[in-house]
Amino acid sequence: MSDKNQWNPYLAGGLTGIVMILSIWIAGQFFGASTSFVRTAGIIENLFSPERVQQLEYYVRVAPRLEWQWFFVVGILLGSLAASKLGGNFRWQAVPDMWQHRFGNTPVKRGITAFAGGAVLMFGARMADG
Amino acid sequence: MKLILMGLVTGILFGFLLQKATVLRYDRQLGALRLRDMTIVKFMLSAVCVAMVGVYLLHDLGMAALSVKETVLGANIVGAILFGLGWGLLGYCPGTSLGALGEGRYDALWGIIGMIFGAAVFARAYPFLTETVYTWGNYGKLTLPSALGINHWPVIIAFIVISLLLFWWFEKIKL
Repeated sequence: MSDKNQWNPYLAGGLTGIVMILSIWIAGQFFGASTSFVRTAGIIENLFSPERVQQLEYYVRVAPRLEWQWFFVVGILLGSLAASKLGGNFRWQAVPDMWQHRFGNTPVKRGITAFAGGAVLMFGARMADG
Repeated sequence: MKLILMGLVTGILFGFLLQKATVLRYDRQLGALRLRDMTIVKFMLSAVCVAMVGVYLLHDLGMAALSVKETVLGANIVGAILFGLGWGLLGYCPGTSLGALGEGRYDALWGIIGMIFGAAVFARAYPFLTETVYTWGNYGKLTLPSALGINHWPVIIAFIVISLLLFWWFEKIKL
């Protein structure tokens, strides 16, 4: 599991703390991700039924538009892509190692579980305002 | 435009550090939930300890406003249980799912689609929830210092000391 390009978690965590401080100081922005999933859902629904979106109170509170956090979340993908390509541990993989050990190489089963887990997780995250 | 660029740059730095610490991986996340691998806990607590000091310093100097969320026991507890259940199934959280996709673990994509679906379902459930879970045990914008009625610095120092003791213990038992 560990590889030679891995950074010490305390160091990487501490540096992340510094990035958080700078973000709050310079941009006034706290780290977060789940709000962007609501905005994305609203943007997609807007394509099909804008009237419906306007009727839903939650989409009025969390408007379907792109802002700081949405680009922050996209940035996470790009930063991870850069780090894994530069570090040589980018790996195109459908089923994680631990899943394979327990459930075998079952990408469909993994995909359905990931989808269901994601839906439940996001419902809970929004409820708890996380 | 400037805010968008800052969001993107901040995200890139965060994604880079997450990937370098290997905390984006399903195996790490399930390892934490199964209490077998504390890499994520080490990473997160280190970030929290450092950020806590910096943010409260900025706050004391009047250079930043805190973003305190409301404590609503019903919504927090029910939401947390659902979040944990879903997290155990998916093996990525909302932010790390994008990072996992970035390093090629494309099972995260099904999770991302699931999360967008979950958000759309939540938007429909919201009116019902405002009459139920959101009315149970609302304590408003609560913080540990305000609840204890003391200055924030003793709380921060205690938090850091407990974290360091936890780190020492993790290393001792090689978790």
